[in-house]
Amino acid sequence: MGACGLLGLAGSTAEATEVNTAILGYTEPGRVSAFEAIVNGNHQFDSGKSLNFRLVFDALTGASANGATPASFTQTFTRPSGRGSYRTAPGDTPLDDTFRDTRGAGSVGLTMPVNRVTNFSVGLYGSGEYDYVSLGGNLALTRDFNQRNTTIALRGAFFHDTINPEGGRPVPFSAMPDEGTQKAKLPGNGTKQTMDLGLGLTQVFNRRTVVHFNYTYSHVTDYQTDPFKLLSVVDPVTGDPRAADAYLYEGRPDARDKHVLFGRLVRHLGRDIVHLSYRFFRDDWGVRSHTVDLTYRWNFGDRKFFKPHLRYYNQTAADFYHRYLVDGEALPGHASADYRLGDMYTVTYGLTHGRIVGDDHELTVRVEYYAQMGESHPADAIGNLRNYDLFPTVNALIMQVGYSFNLFQ
Amino acid sequence: MRVKQTVGAGAIVILLGMTGSGLTGCANLGVKPWERDLLAEPGMEIDPDVIITALDEHIYFSKEASTGGLGTAGGGCGCN
Repeated sequence: MGACGLLGLAGSTAEATEVNTAILGYTEPGRVSAFEAIVNGNHQFDSGKSLNFRLVFDALTGASANGATPASFTQTFTRPSGRGSYRTAPGDTPLDDTFRDTRGAGSVGLTMPVNRVTNFSVGLYGSGEYDYVSLGGNLALTRDFNQRNTTIALRGAFFHDTINPEGGRPVPFSAMPDEGTQKAKLPGNGTKQTMDLGLGLTQVFNRRTVVHFNYTYSHVTDYQTDPFKLLSVVDPVTGDPRAADAYLYEGRPDARDKHVLFGRLVRHLGRDIVHLSYRFFRDDWGVRSHTVDLTYRWNFGDRKFFKPHLRYYNQTAADFYHRYLVDGEALPGHASADYRLGDMYTVTYGLTHGRIVGDDHELTVRVEYYAQMGESHPADAIGNLRNYDLFPTVNALIMQVGYSFNLFQ
Repeated sequence: MRVKQTVGAGAIVILLGMTGSGLTGCANLGVKPWERDLLAEPGMEIDPDVIITALDEHIYFSKEASTGGLGTAGGGCGCN
């Protein structure tokens, strides 16, 4: 829900349904491709209640870095199922091309007025894919103050996820088996619980300016390891994988506390509108991140706009991030070579074009470029690893077409 | 790392700076109901495009270690 609803800006309780739809294509050349379709509906009842529903479908295919390091010889990796293997040429980043998944997700939410200035919301969420099911619910209470110029929101959410990966959940730090051999597995399915608590403040400053602040605390427990990611154990001199048990499955802590501070300024410039956001994130895994996001809605009359978008993100590595392990050294308590937990920065450049078509329907087209850069050549790299790119830049192209319309006006 | 901290601090300063003198005059914050014309325009919502927000959050969730911000951090997926 946008601030208009929260701050009573829409002002109308007439029955109406707004439907937003979009399809999105995402492609990383040589790696993952994804297709996503989404429908979001919001029905406003005469009574002041509103019902929101959302359906999402996505399909993913392609290759993803498995965590192992490049080597001076051809490497062979057993697929997660234990059936079959794939090879990586000397000097190349090992990519597991096994990934093929489809996901469906749905959510429904009801917002009810408690009194003239207070609203209560309740929602349910569910998603399912081949090896992962997530179920959740959320509650929110919002209250307007100061002639609806100030809104305070309290939110809570809980999610329960079940993970049943292809080939089972490997025992952390157990060795990747040879093809046709079973890996050492943890018993049963993995589960993960997420509890979010949030406090939000939205304030109208003047005719042109609204600011919004959010603090979210998130507590995640249980299985958070990626069952498909490996760590190379390399020779301390050559940097190549050791001869036996060269690849170990990763292991992450089973608890994580996250704190997120978010601020957004919305400013009307007379014709155009600017959104400027900043997010600070920290967790007890050692990740700290800053995100700055800027969009500028360049209005051409009432029926057309262009919206350039710029996003900058950087993060520090998790404490247990290791690009590789060294043979002969003691194993750490937890370790992962997942590049998403490493030191990195990312940039996004994009442009959205929107126009009113027909009877107040809106068509939008969006193109964005996303790039992710990390520590390609760490100063302490060992032996041959100095010659390889240990964090290849990931580039992605995002294309989206959206269509929005109103029913029962 | 200093560059990263400067980016974060700079964003906070800009956020506060662009709100103008309103911060020093809290008693005058806000508008009268008949002064909401610009605030009611399309694009002035805090989250003007919930679809883009949802799609982007899914992408960044699967590519970066941070989640959440605008709403709650939300449920998971087996994103690889």
